[in-house]
Amino acid sequence: MKPGRLHRLFTAWAWTATLVLVTAMAIILGFLISRGWHTLTPSLIFGEAPIWEAVTLVRPVFDGLFPALAGTLALVLTAVALAVPLGIGAGIFLAEYCPPKPKAFFSLVFDILAGIPSIVVGLFGFSLTILLHQLFGGRIYPCLLISAISLAFLVLPYIIRTTQLSLQGLDPAVRLTALGLGATKFQNIVHVLVPASFSHILSGVILAVGRCAEDTAVIMLTGAVAAAGIPKSLFSGYEALPFYIYYISSQYADDAELARGYGACLLLLALCLTLFGLARWLQRRVSQRILYRP
Amino acid sequence: MTNPAPHIMPADPKIRLRDICFFFGNTRILNQVNVDIPENRITAVTGPSGQGKSTLLSCLNRLWEETPGARMTGNVDIRFNDRFQDIRTLPAHQLRQKVGTVFQVPTPLPMSIYKNVAFPLKLQGKDKEREARHRVEEALKRTHLWQEVKDRFDQDARALSGGQQQRLCMARALVLRPQVLLLDEPTSSLDPGAGERIEALLTELKSQCTILLISHYMDQVARIADQRLSLEQGRLNPTPL
Repeated sequence: MKPGRLHRLFTAWAWTATLVLVTAMAIILGFLISRGWHTLTPSLIFGEAPIWEAVTLVRPVFDGLFPALAGTLALVLTAVALAVPLGIGAGIFLAEYCPPKPKAFFSLVFDILAGIPSIVVGLFGFSLTILLHQLFGGRIYPCLLISAISLAFLVLPYIIRTTQLSLQGLDPAVRLTALGLGATKFQNIVHVLVPASFSHILSGVILAVGRCAEDTAVIMLTGAVAAAGIPKSLFSGYEALPFYIYYISSQYADDAELARGYGACLLLLALCLTLFGLARWLQRRVSQRILYRP
Repeated sequence: MTNPAPHIMPADPKIRLRDICFFFGNTRILNQVNVDIPENRITAVTGPSGQGKSTLLSCLNRLWEETPGARMTGNVDIRFNDRFQDIRTLPAHQLRQKVGTVFQVPTPLPMSIYKNVAFPLKLQGKDKEREARHRVEEALKRTHLWQEVKDRFDQDARALSGGQQQRLCMARALVLRPQVLLLDEPTSSLDPGAGERIEALLTELKSQCTILLISHYMDQVARIADQRLSLEQGRLNPTPL
């Protein structure tokens, strides 16, 4: 085949693949918006409770999604707070300190871990709950903390591998420059290598946030319940938007309830977008502060 | 039978290389290099590409140790405070603070112009605002970059032109006032005017530090070098300028 024709075919394939994906995304979003848009009112979130009183926790919300929204936010933040320090630390270890043979082994292990179905991790969380329940004399039940630990375990491989690969992918000249200027290995990692790969590391964190926010299999086995209210502590049950969506889609009683499920989908998307936006804003602010302020 | 490696020994050396052999895997890059580098002079190292000139420089700051599979035998001694010291007895980072390096390809770090030049000071904990500003300004003026960047210190250094980046890297190497300066084709990415200014700077600098310069430009070597060493097939030979 002539190179010109091959190039045109290749370009057409690349364009088609992108168009298919964008169209699929637009169809899903359009469908969700058309079905759920009319439910997006304050009452979807706060029910009959006045907004201020609901937000300040003066009055509990029984017929709105505010407890599920708060539960999801608490769950994502706790899981990410557990996973990020561990994941980035392990990624730095693999990229900068680990000898080649163990590195190849651990990389394979983390790649396999990344492919474990979330229901398996959920069962692990459930077994952990039973173990802790027996160990602590029946005082530990499925709760936010165990869900967060399980979710952290689920997303750790993404953060580890993203950190490792972004550090290893740095230009060797960047790696040697600081050493040539008299930096120790530690200074090189802290002052140059990690800041230089910060935006890539953050991509892994964003991926983790998305995965924590959407996962249902793990939380339904480890602590999410249909009507728990706002989570009172890390050791209490909680409500979560993905669980609510799952619950409604399988057991809705009428069209109005199903529409609320679509509304919950839009809320979950909005929550993820807000967290992604926050992460990007942090990335710019932190990069600016670390790297460019004189 | 191979000829014995030549010994090049000036009266007042700053650096002594003895029996240096360098291997990358099973490949021998340097073969029995014996040379003394005179203090406060510019020593040019010339030779065809791929003969180990950059490797020779990496033997002087131990940067080769960062390359997996590399191995060096022999001794490198540098005179610090009137006493020759085997460089392996110094912590690598301390050695590299005394032996400045400018690479062939400009390597601004992913940070602002000011932070790039002040970076070596920060590593040493000498980043007190006033003193650091003074040292940065001094280094930028010496490399004739001050006028071009003084109003945009907080901009990303990677946005500078290739020539400006190379002068920035020289300023960064000079900010610690090193005793030895290793330059790997420092003017290869510069326009003729900027190259001349760097040559003038090197001539001025040699009263304060010992300079080892890799260059492919024979006219440049003839203009600024005090001695020329030619590296071919892993051997270093004195060559007329």
